[in-house]
Amino acid sequence: MAVPITLRSVTKTYRRGGESLRVLDELDLLMDGGTFYALMGPSGSGKTTLLNLCGGLDQADQGLVQVGDTDLGQLASGELAKWRAANVGFVFQGFNLLPVLTARENVELPLLLAPLSKAQRRAQAERVLELVGLKDRMDHKPRELSGGQEQRVAIARAIATDPQLILADEPTGDLDRTTADSVLQLLQRLNRELHKTILMVTHDPQAASYADKVIHLDKGKLGRIEDNRQAAADAKRN
Amino acid sequence: MPWNLLWRNLLGHPIRSLLTVLSVMVAVFLVSVLHAVVSGLDRTIDAAASNRLLVQSAVSLFVNLPLGYQQKLAGVPGVEAICKWQYFGGKYEQDKGGYFAQFGIDSATFLNSYPEISIVDGSYEEFAKGRTACLVGTELAEKYDWKVGQTVPITGSLFQRTDEKPWEFTIAGIYTSNSAAVDKQTLWFHFDYLHESLEQGGASGPRGAGVYMLRIEKGADPVAVQRTVDAMFENGPQRVQTTTEAEFNRQFLSMLGDVPSMLQLVGGAVLFAIFFAVLNTMLMAARERTRDLGILKALGFSDGVAAAMLLGESMLVCCLGALLAGLLAIAIETPMAAATASFIPGFGFDRTTLWLGTGIALGTGVLSGLLPAYRAARLTAIGALREVV
Repeated sequence: MAVPITLRSVTKTYRRGGESLRVLDELDLLMDGGTFYALMGPSGSGKTTLLNLCGGLDQADQGLVQVGDTDLGQLASGELAKWRAANVGFVFQGFNLLPVLTARENVELPLLLAPLSKAQRRAQAERVLELVGLKDRMDHKPRELSGGQEQRVAIARAIATDPQLILADEPTGDLDRTTADSVLQLLQRLNRELHKTILMVTHDPQAASYADKVIHLDKGKLGRIEDNRQAAADAKRN
Repeated sequence: MPWNLLWRNLLGHPIRSLLTVLSVMVAVFLVSVLHAVVSGLDRTIDAAASNRLLVQSAVSLFVNLPLGYQQKLAGVPGVEAICKWQYFGGKYEQDKGGYFAQFGIDSATFLNSYPEISIVDGSYEEFAKGRTACLVGTELAEKYDWKVGQTVPITGSLFQRTDEKPWEFTIAGIYTSNSAAVDKQTLWFHFDYLHESLEQGGASGPRGAGVYMLRIEKGADPVAVQRTVDAMFENGPQRVQTTTEAEFNRQFLSMLGDVPSMLQLVGGAVLFAIFFAVLNTMLMAARERTRDLGILKALGFSDGVAAAMLLGESMLVCCLGALLAGLLAIAIETPMAAATASFIPGFGFDRTTLWLGTGIALGTGVLSGLLPAYRAARLTAIGALREVV
């Protein structure tokens, strides 16, 4: 089931060195389930903070953050951790794989929190690695993989538990154009074929073009929302 | 719980992990050895017979008692037999650096007074008959490859022959002992041989007897015998101090100082140092694992798992160290026991010592892992990832 995300009057303020910095300011936003969103905006506009709030890594000071039927503001730290394990897959800019584990073991990590046997975990890890085209590299450690391969492993880890929501923070920031395109195509495929809701933070307009919709943030407030699908359909009609 | 991460993290820094494990191993081993020494001393004291009293000079163990005391002691009610003991303090000609004790004793009463001793080669009768005969322990015979009938030259230091030649003792029997009260590395010879040599001018040295051992009759009250003996010589010519064998052993060991306290102090200092070494290693490891912990938490692992990862790693390091220390202890127990048999006949890594070593390792592991584990539990996923990304 594709999960929608609802944000109502969301405010988040950080305090650094005695100063308050309002990163998100009374933000209202509705994101449809099963849609691939790109989140753009200048540095400090609140993109990553919004991503963290949607993924339950952080909590809003005020307002409602609801993913599917779950109001994340009502969950305690331990409950949020369990919710993340079951519902969210994260893809980070720096890949964030554990260097001492092989690709397969990295993918198996989130599966340790699911009620699966060792054999089932292994089979699932191999299945998702095959899905991202890395089955032949599953026994390699991260340092033995290219940047693109590392990010594919990270994506495989993100989808291993079959979450409905995938959050990606600059997933192509450390990759060359060709590799970035292949990673973005993979994310697009996950959205189109498996109906995952994807929210991707990016500075790169070309990366954003793979998304269905592009949300612009500026100084913690919602800017315009571009609908790439609509634009593509209009262009096709004209 | 990603258990494989514990091993992988350890193997991720093999040299650091190895050095930490080795430092724990050395500390646990050292503390175990010190404990084994203390236990050995206690066992030696505890193994003392309750029916043997020892009479020595009230001034010092190094002041001999007149030989005339023996007849008076024999008349004390409750005394069944008397055996003189005289420390000889000689050195084996062939092994200048080696040490083993030699004592002159009364062969007529010696064996009956020490039922823990049995002759495994040669015979006690041959020993009793031969003027220069001696008995040697099995470990001593094994060490120097001595056989029955062989002559052992001993250079005297307290008692020197006037012809400046070494004393010669012929091995008439090899004994073993089933009690920590008597070691297997002593040479016993006839007190009379020493006494006659002194009397006939063949040797020089202190006259009299170092200690009188009194064997108490069955049913007799040792305390009453003690009081009677001490009172008997209250007015001299030489005041005496009568003690149980256990008390005598304890006093003898206390001449070296408060050995148990000293050893415990050394052991405590070693543990203190190792605790900080392991804590430092674990704090470094925790710092390096900040990103990994952030990833685990982002994936949904709880604060408890993050804490358990560091606590587990600390305990794994310490348990590996303890395991190696245990194996080392088992490997060297026999040679160490042989090397210390003269001083600590009861030396050995008993179950208490091994449990103590394990307990110390686990305790060090827990204490060293607590602070890093606490910090790991308090980390937030964002905080951990932001710190290094």
